Amino acid sequence: MPSPNHQEPAARYMDNVAIALSVLYQFGTNGAFLLLSALGLIVILGMMNIINLAHGELMMMGAYVATTAVQRGVPFPLAVLVAFIAIAIFGAIFERLVVRRFYGRELGALVVTWGISLILSQGSLLVFGPFMPSIQIPGGSISVGLYSFSEYWLALITVAIVVVFGLWWLYNHTTFGLQARATMQNAAMARALGVNTDRVYMLTFSLGAGLAGFSGALLAPTTSIMPFMGQQFVAPAFITVVVGGATNVITGALGSSILLSLVRTPIGFLFGSFLGLVALLLAALIIIRLMPDGISAWLQRYLDRWSRIRISA
Amino acid sequence: MTDKVRSPDQDSPANSIKTDRRTVMKGAVAASIAAGVALPTYLRDFNFTQTVRAQTAGTIKLGFIEDESGNLAVYGLQKLHAAQLAVKEINEGKTLKGAPNIGAGFVGAMGQVANNPPVISKEGTNLDVVDDGGVKERVDLVYDEDDEVLIDSGEIGVLGRELQFVSADGQSNNSVWQQLARRMIQEDKVDVLVAGFASAEREAIRPIVDQFKQLYFYTNQYEGGVADANTFCTGPVCEQQVIPTVQYMVEKFGPRAYTIAADYNFGQLTAAWTRAYIPLVGGEIIGEEFIPLSVSEFSQVIARIQQASPDWVMTLLVGQNHHNYYPQAAAAGLRLPMASTVNMAQGYEHKRFQPPSLANMHNAIQYQLEVPSARNRAFVKRWMAMFPEDQYIGEMAQNTYFTIHLYAKAARLAGTTDQETVKKCLELGWNIEAPEGSVFLEPGTHHCAHPIRLAVADENHNVKFVRDWPMIQAWWLQRLGVNLVRTPEFKQYTPDEDPYFAMFGKKKT
Repeated sequence: MPSPNHQEPAARYMDNVAIALSVLYQFGTNGAFLLLSALGLIVILGMMNIINLAHGELMMMGAYVATTAVQRGVPFPLAVLVAFIAIAIFGAIFERLVVRRFYGRELGALVVTWGISLILSQGSLLVFGPFMPSIQIPGGSISVGLYSFSEYWLALITVAIVVVFGLWWLYNHTTFGLQARATMQNAAMARALGVNTDRVYMLTFSLGAGLAGFSGALLAPTTSIMPFMGQQFVAPAFITVVVGGATNVITGALGSSILLSLVRTPIGFLFGSFLGLVALLLAALIIIRLMPDGISAWLQRYLDRWSRIRISA
Repeated sequence: MTDKVRSPDQDSPANSIKTDRRTVMKGAVAASIAAGVALPTYLRDFNFTQTVRAQTAGTIKLGFIEDESGNLAVYGLQKLHAAQLAVKEINEGKTLKGAPNIGAGFVGAMGQVANNPPVISKEGTNLDVVDDGGVKERVDLVYDEDDEVLIDSGEIGVLGRELQFVSADGQSNNSVWQQLARRMIQEDKVDVLVAGFASAEREAIRPIVDQFKQLYFYTNQYEGGVADANTFCTGPVCEQQVIPTVQYMVEKFGPRAYTIAADYNFGQLTAAWTRAYIPLVGGEIIGEEFIPLSVSEFSQVIARIQQASPDWVMTLLVGQNHHNYYPQAAAAGLRLPMASTVNMAQGYEHKRFQPPSLANMHNAIQYQLEVPSARNRAFVKRWMAMFPEDQYIGEMAQNTYFTIHLYAKAARLAGTTDQETVKKCLELGWNIEAPEGSVFLEPGTHHCAHPIRLAVADENHNVKFVRDWPMIQAWWLQRLGVNLVRTPEFKQYTPDEDPYFAMFGKKKT
């Protein structure tokens, strides 16, 4: 008969595994939440340098489209795709009608997108009322020891990483990506070389809007579907993109969401979500103070120095 | 509209004298002092005479601020509709039954009751399908309630004047609330102010209310403790909600509770009440977490609860961001029994989220849409006739509704809209028949005694009422010795100021 002393180390080992898995899961969800919030803004703020205060409302519209579609019997993955396309089309129209008049005038764009965000949220309050019944979170849960994890959040973590990787591929390995980067760097030169910069601007903005709608749709089952639901994503999105920096937006956003959730997760787990949030904001403050151009600029410099050393060696 | 208003005193000689507001007020005060000599003590400071009814010119202004946009819009819109319904009814010559000095008004009678409480079906706002709780054979004390509480008031509007609804959107932003309160009081010169969802909003505008001695109604359920001579709190408070809920939860599910609460005065103080009270029924709080209103992603909170593994969870979550907790917890496999004083009855989470997110939620409330009484069904029908698009009527919406009727009744009895006089009149001990049941406005503390019911949501989000207290007083301020009639005060008490909790609330070692 095994004595309790014999069982104890095994049980303690299982407990430790469960805690480790739980912390890993929390780290993943924190990071994925930041990354998904920032997805559309990576393109619009990071690449086009448009301070898009209607970002939250684009996500809200994505959530509304997906929720409505699911309630009409469309399967959830298809509904997310529908949301992406619908908000991308909306983004293209929005860019044609409004945003393109404000290229190069950052503050003008800030004010106009803020105005649009008010129209969108109040408008949907008038049209759809104060809330829409939400849709069920797909998938069940997996439990390990005391803890249990939502399968849907595990899927979201994967999707967030895949989409960011896809974005990186699009901008580094396709003609469109090349033209887009050229346009953002020097529009006049790109035009001289035959790039249709008008089209590039429209497509980029439309992609950013579509991605915002896409992540809004993905997050829709986990939130209340309401006209002002977008506000909860705006601050995390801007923090992620700004901390990431503009040198290389995609790696920057990935790096900042990893770094910020690395700070937030242990503190939030040990001391509660209030101090977790405080830690996140403090970390953002310190990073911006130490690396004014964001994590990506710092990474870039580090990589440059490293390659120089390698060349000279 | 004003020209159509019928004056109740066409023949009164005073009617022909055009006076400005201030003169009328002086007249009212003078008349009330004169009248006071002959009247009993509790009626001394206001008058029943018709002299001041001369004030037929113009409308009575009802100032109303609620959040119609932002994080708290889900509550504000219900309250707005409630106010619009009440104002419409008053202007159509209707009033709720009720009068001062009757006290809590039930007739106790022996009657047959069923073993189970009646249940309203999942169809929600369609109240046709009500099960009657089974065979009625158990004999018990039941209380007699009127089936219809809306009656003719005998006049259009109040004192023959139309009740004008002056409404503004607080935008879920405390500084906007302060600006609006100032504007309503100083520029619009409202006769009565009905406003406030979050306790932070109330505390933001209360200093302004006190500065101008504005008659102010706060209609929300809240953490309790406001002792303010200008403020009347018509919603239930912690001793009416937390104590019944905690008692039931400890009895039914076990002693170990975990509290998650919104991080502002409401959440902090309600959590303090739970903490202070739970040792008295043999329970303990094994964990407590206060969550900023901006947090909307709860995986860490869920993991912390799982780590503590309590018997049940007290959720005091406020706003659209916090409501995400329920679907996220259900998806993460956290299926503990829950209790609350706000959720479900206010934010109708059981209608907004797919089952079983709110399964096993317990809340001791005075009202929510499902209350199975004839007068409530009549109220819901009237509401839905005016606002057919609405999804739910929450507890604070019903409070707003009866509060505005209560004001109209008090102003009618006072014979004036002079705010000091109406305040005195409200301090007569009013009983009003609201959709929830009989409500008694206790004069000394400016709080209401309510009928309380323990609502439970099942796996499919159907609501049942498993316990029913015909009347619970807001007794805590009385115990602290607050009597606003004798000693006006302008503060909010917290549980820390009650020595009894410190005495008995200690952990047994």
